[in-house]
Amino acid sequence: MSNLNSLSIHELHKRLVSGEITALDLTKEAIENCKSDSCNCLEATCYEEALKKAKSITEVKEDEILKGIPYLAKDNYSTKGVETTASSNILNGYVPLFDATVISKLNRRGMILIGKTSMDELAMGGTGTTSHKGATLNPYDKERISGGSSSGSAVSIALGMVPFTLGSDTGDSVRKPASYNQVVGFKPTWGRVSRYGLFPFAPSLDCPSYFTRNVLDSAYILSAIAGHDEKDMSSSRRKKDVYEKFVKHHRTLPKVGYFKAVKDSIPSSKVRRAFDDLLKKIEKAGYQVIAYDYPIELLNALYPTYMIISCAEATSNNANLDGIRFGPKPQGDIKTYSEYMLEARTAGFSDLIKRRFVIGSFSLLSENVYEMFSRAQKARRMIVDNLNKFFDKADYFITPASFSKPKKINELSAAWSKTSDFLENIMTLANFGGNPSITLPLGEEDSLPFGVNITGRIFEDGSLFAFASDVEKITGIKDVTVRCR
Amino acid sequence: MEFEPVIGIEIHVELKSKTKMFSSAPTSFGQKPNSCAVYYDFAFPGTMPVVNKEAVSYGIKVCKALNMTINHTLYFDRKNYFYPDLPKGYQITQQFDPIGRDGYLLIETKDGEKKVTIEQAHLEEDTAKQLHLNDMSLVDFNRCGTPLIEIVSNPDMHSGEEAMKYVEAIREIVTYLEVSDGKMENGSLRCDINISLREKGSKKLGVKTECKNLNTISNIKAAVDYEIARQRELLMKGEKITQETRRYDETLKKTVIMRKKTDAIDYKYFREPNIIPIDLDDDFINDAIYSMNKLPYQYKKDFKAIGLSNYEIELLLKDRQVVCYFEDCLALGVKNPSVLVSLISGDIMGYLNKNGKTFKDLNVSKENMVYLVNALEEKKINSKQGKIVLEKMLVENRDSKEIISSLGLQMLSDEKAIEKIVDIVIKENKQVVDDYQRGKDHGLGYLVGQVMKMSKGQANPIIAKKLIIEKIGECPKVNTNH
Repeated sequence: MSNLNSLSIHELHKRLVSGEITALDLTKEAIENCKSDSCNCLEATCYEEALKKAKSITEVKEDEILKGIPYLAKDNYSTKGVETTASSNILNGYVPLFDATVISKLNRRGMILIGKTSMDELAMGGTGTTSHKGATLNPYDKERISGGSSSGSAVSIALGMVPFTLGSDTGDSVRKPASYNQVVGFKPTWGRVSRYGLFPFAPSLDCPSYFTRNVLDSAYILSAIAGHDEKDMSSSRRKKDVYEKFVKHHRTLPKVGYFKAVKDSIPSSKVRRAFDDLLKKIEKAGYQVIAYDYPIELLNALYPTYMIISCAEATSNNANLDGIRFGPKPQGDIKTYSEYMLEARTAGFSDLIKRRFVIGSFSLLSENVYEMFSRAQKARRMIVDNLNKFFDKADYFITPASFSKPKKINELSAAWSKTSDFLENIMTLANFGGNPSITLPLGEEDSLPFGVNITGRIFEDGSLFAFASDVEKITGIKDVTVRCR
Repeated sequence: MEFEPVIGIEIHVELKSKTKMFSSAPTSFGQKPNSCAVYYDFAFPGTMPVVNKEAVSYGIKVCKALNMTINHTLYFDRKNYFYPDLPKGYQITQQFDPIGRDGYLLIETKDGEKKVTIEQAHLEEDTAKQLHLNDMSLVDFNRCGTPLIEIVSNPDMHSGEEAMKYVEAIREIVTYLEVSDGKMENGSLRCDINISLREKGSKKLGVKTECKNLNTISNIKAAVDYEIARQRELLMKGEKITQETRRYDETLKKTVIMRKKTDAIDYKYFREPNIIPIDLDDDFINDAIYSMNKLPYQYKKDFKAIGLSNYEIELLLKDRQVVCYFEDCLALGVKNPSVLVSLISGDIMGYLNKNGKTFKDLNVSKENMVYLVNALEEKKINSKQGKIVLEKMLVENRDSKEIISSLGLQMLSDEKAIEKIVDIVIKENKQVVDDYQRGKDHGLGYLVGQVMKMSKGQANPIIAKKLIIEKIGECPKVNTNH
């Protein structure tokens, strides 16, 4: 069975320009793909609007690379007229009045939104199992987690539903599921892309991010969505690049570094061998590979630092969800405003979310703030300072994106790990520093994919794509969907 | 035991920038509920704050006027708490690094000039307004996000009068700067007053109460004086002051308890992550400072220099519109500023008040006003005529020069013409002249009055007086001491 939506954006673009296929063909097929979703990837859909828009596209010009291409967006992007819940009951029935900046930029380029994808509730989670509609399944093994929080976006593109999906990345929420689903997951430099309309989890870490199935497509997308936005003061005024040119003209940088502590502690022999092998090939391709001693105590600090900062910001950012202006009204005999809010929030959030809020609030209380939140902020500063020291020596940081097979859903425990496993949290480095970071497929273990992650200096998104493209050539793995295996 | 009251004041001033502190919605007063609010003001998910430059510039002006050190980097923080009028669940404010620090203000009290030091001023956003009905509560988001500057004084004041003068001075400053309406009655200037008593000579502060709901300047003095007396009485009885928030009840003329201050809410402050610290350009700060309106104390200095009395200055300073009008007139060449002050504060204000108008409605051009004032000063017309002319200027919107000449009001200054009248008057009042020449000096006034009467008020009385004396001589000094 041929599936056009399994092809890359740039390939589809060629066919759209030549007239061999139409936007309507692609859209109809994408809708059929969504309808046969077998992994619980989707939230609300907007098929009618999509078909209407597809019909209006009668011609695609050479320079309209994204025109006519269907896509799905994570359910934490505000989409005008399309219900957006962030997979949380507290937002059931919420239909936004405006589009997120990223959504309107893509739509104006002629991309066609088909629907919204499931996610860990309010983007807080890494398993893809905490959506209000249940777990999003790993397409390679439905008993296993898909990774999260951008679970539906990762799985839907892996299933070949559409050639591009929007996600968001606060800890590794795009780059980890990309690893489990054998696709390319990219988190741009913080501030490179407007966050306006992205439901905030932890604004100092949040980044609009996305999935493609190859590096070149990823570069094309960034060229479309990067740039300053008057509605987001934290978006950078720095001139944006034409990112695909870095790939096409091979504008890469020479030095690739890894952390010794990471490489030495990879538990899976399969991952270890694949990573070693990749480093050798990278060296062979003309890069200088550098082993770096990043302070182990700072690696161990990644997890607590991330939890405290992200939970503290989250508890405040989600305080607007009180059931007064939007979201389900609380039931029962309500007498006071505090009862109203309490009831709405008690019914609306899952226990996992409440736990994060409690931790976040606790760390900000005046008797704790110095020991917890302020200390986490200081740790973040040290983590980033040391990452920048690394970038004085090397141009790219490389690490496996996942170190073991995705967990089985029925073996998950709600308890938080008591030990700080820095491997599991290594990709938060790029969130702390705001660095651009990309995950791409590296190999498989028992038919379960794993990826490699590369991080660059801030605002060097272009050269990161150039290097990632070289890695893609070395691994030879691109444009993979589950059904093409 | 003798007590010393200690008073510190927090003042919230609504800034009247065109748009809100962090959103593009217009700032408004008295508009249809929820018509002046955009997505951000309702805290729809994904909306983000964008700092309003105009409000920042207003903040800088206030800080400068209060002699504060201006922070060249803007930082914002979140103050977290749940309340229906706070849609985001947090207020964006400046908890850790306010825009202004360490200022002072000089106030005039009956004991002379006094310096009140100011701890800090910070920018923040206002909350929405709640309306409570019988069976429901409604929220109006129009006010939500309106820019505020909160000015926090040190506990430097010690009486109701000082507190009142301080608030009045702040109100004057923000209205003169035109950064706020400064209207206490509709909440664009709100103050919370902290009052405590301590034993005279002691350095330690006593337990304080906070007083709210003060919607006129005079209520401040009344509330503070009442609260001082209340606390003194309790302390004299050996009772303790409890920390509480009280409001001033205008009808009872008392402060009454609103709520006890139990454990303070923990606001869980942290830096606002959506606003990266903003380095203010020196030019931006300088532009704000150099575009500041002249302040009351500067006017005071200038008006003293041209010889106005304190009373006259106070009359003028009540309204910036008046001061500006007055100063513009001076620039056009007013020969006697006091005459202008009395015209404005007397006849003009009287006319405007009677007709329910404000000074803004005054339609008399400055040139016209100056002509009238100088005509009075040069005795071209007398004060009675002045009133007639002014009334015609106000009511009929006519030129002063034209009214004066058309009504033939120009005073008779032709000596020959006046001399003729003087001669007649002397002839007809022989007895008065005789008495005058024997020492009854009030006869001169009578004679001048007769000249005026005969000339229908048009003769220049100074010339008339001069001519009469020329003709009948000075009144001889008679020793009245027997």
